[in-house]
Amino acid sequence: MRRKYGFVAAMLSVILLLSLGLTALYTGQEKGGKRAFKIVTSFFPMYVIAENIVGDAAQVSLENLSEPKTGCLHDYQLTPADMKLLSDADVFIVNGGGIESFLADVAAEYPKLQIISACGDIELLESGSEEGEHSHEEEGNAHAWMSVSRYMQLVDTVAGGLAAADTARAKLYNENAKAYRQRLLPLQKEMEALKENAGGGAVVSLHEAYAYVAQDMGLQVAYTLNLDEERQVSAGEVADVLAAIGENGVKFVLAEEIYGKEMGDMLLRETDVRVIYLDTLVRGDYEKNSYLDGMRENIRLLREAFVQ
Amino acid sequence: MEMFTVWWEYGFMRNAFFAILIITPLFALLGTMIVNNKMAFFSDALGHCALTGIAVGVVLGISDTSLSMVLFAVVFALLLNKISKKSAASTDTIISVFSSCSIAVGLAILSKGGNFSKYSGLLVGDILSITGREIFYLILIFAATLGFWFFAFNKLNAVSLNRTLAKSRGINVNLIENLFAVFLALIVMLSIKWVGILIINALLILPAASSRNIAVNMREYHFFSIVFSLFCGMLGLIISYFTNVATGPMIVILASVIYFCTYFYGKKIG
Repeated sequence: MRRKYGFVAAMLSVILLLSLGLTALYTGQEKGGKRAFKIVTSFFPMYVIAENIVGDAAQVSLENLSEPKTGCLHDYQLTPADMKLLSDADVFIVNGGGIESFLADVAAEYPKLQIISACGDIELLESGSEEGEHSHEEEGNAHAWMSVSRYMQLVDTVAGGLAAADTARAKLYNENAKAYRQRLLPLQKEMEALKENAGGGAVVSLHEAYAYVAQDMGLQVAYTLNLDEERQVSAGEVADVLAAIGENGVKFVLAEEIYGKEMGDMLLRETDVRVIYLDTLVRGDYEKNSYLDGMRENIRLLREAFVQ
Repeated sequence: MEMFTVWWEYGFMRNAFFAILIITPLFALLGTMIVNNKMAFFSDALGHCALTGIAVGVVLGISDTSLSMVLFAVVFALLLNKISKKSAASTDTIISVFSSCSIAVGLAILSKGGNFSKYSGLLVGDILSITGREIFYLILIFAATLGFWFFAFNKLNAVSLNRTLAKSRGINVNLIENLFAVFLALIVMLSIKWVGILIINALLILPAASSRNIAVNMREYHFFSIVFSLFCGMLGLIISYFTNVATGPMIVILASVIYFCTYFYGKKIG
């Protein structure tokens, strides 16, 4: 009898000590230094923008909310660590347009946090799904970063917001933003050149984000099937895609490699379209140039397809 | 020690802390009866029907889907109780039919237009979903359950030992069983958003099952169950905070460790 209680007490204390010890070991590795101004971004494209604007400013810490794998934020849920991260942040940079579905919670929990919405100043395309209902809460197509010219506007908005929030470094932010724009300019030019060569026509898009690419290239999107993280496609929708391809004489399909590959392969078998796999630029290794590199690769793929 | 204080500054962690403080003893209490009555599968099915409850709420346009979820779960539990008694097929078959049917309906409605990703958080649980209002509900249900336990435990126990015997003692067996099912439904539904559908059953079963491995009487059975449940809940919350893992699974991992320890210990002392 006594031994049993002893056993339970011993078991619980061993588990307690072991788990707390391991946890302490685990968290001990990620302690940061002092900083004066803390910026948190909501996901990868925002991080890259902020990274380029902040540059090597001293005592500014820049952190990203979601793990790199999360990609597009449609179904992202804040973890306790995210809330912790935001609790002492000065500025929170988000894309806006409904992608950050948790934004209302954050604003309620931390009323003092300054939120910069990158898409705040631009007009978004309409949400692409045929049915009108969509994961982005019907707030329009928020993937504005996919258009180089709009992306430059996002950079301006973020730079403006940061300069206003952190006046001490405003000059640096504006200079960095200007330099980044200079580097984006060639891409915009290339896109315009592509537009002249593409010569209109219709495409089918397997991800809402490509509506912006199509617009930049002067193409019509005949049908959008928004394939992402957990999309389940019904047989009727597949038939719709095939019908849209037939009716509009579609020759090109824009798709995403991870979620659109199966559908892309199917379309290759059933029709004589060409499937172009573009990057949605939401994943990467947090390199400063990842947007530039990703977009350059996209443009290369597009040129290969459209300019014979 | 800093470890026990830093998280207290955050509102959502305090909410979670209170919720766990209230809910884990309840799970432990009800769990003892579930384990005794071999109702593990029943409570599992109940957890799964949360999806349908939300779907019904979405279809009816109710803004607070918790309400539709709770109502649906109560109806579901009562119906399940009734049919499983009447039907000739064995209980686990009936429960399985009900459970899969309700999941299918829920998935069909929620995944319409490819929107299921919005609800996938329900599967693993989200600790940030605990609000002040939920804690208020939890306190109410806590008081009600304690009252129910105080007045009906002996009857429940008699029913679980032998229904016929209980009936001969003038106990309204159906009423007691239905009440138990309703309480179970309420508690499961109020905690499912942060525990997650996939593992809520483990939280009900594991502490009681571990306790049963070593307890020799009812008092010990309850005592150990509550101790294990509270212990796992608190420790799980703290660990999940520091390691950035979902809270529900962390709690269940701890509970499983305790289960295996008690299992081997119970075997040894035989």
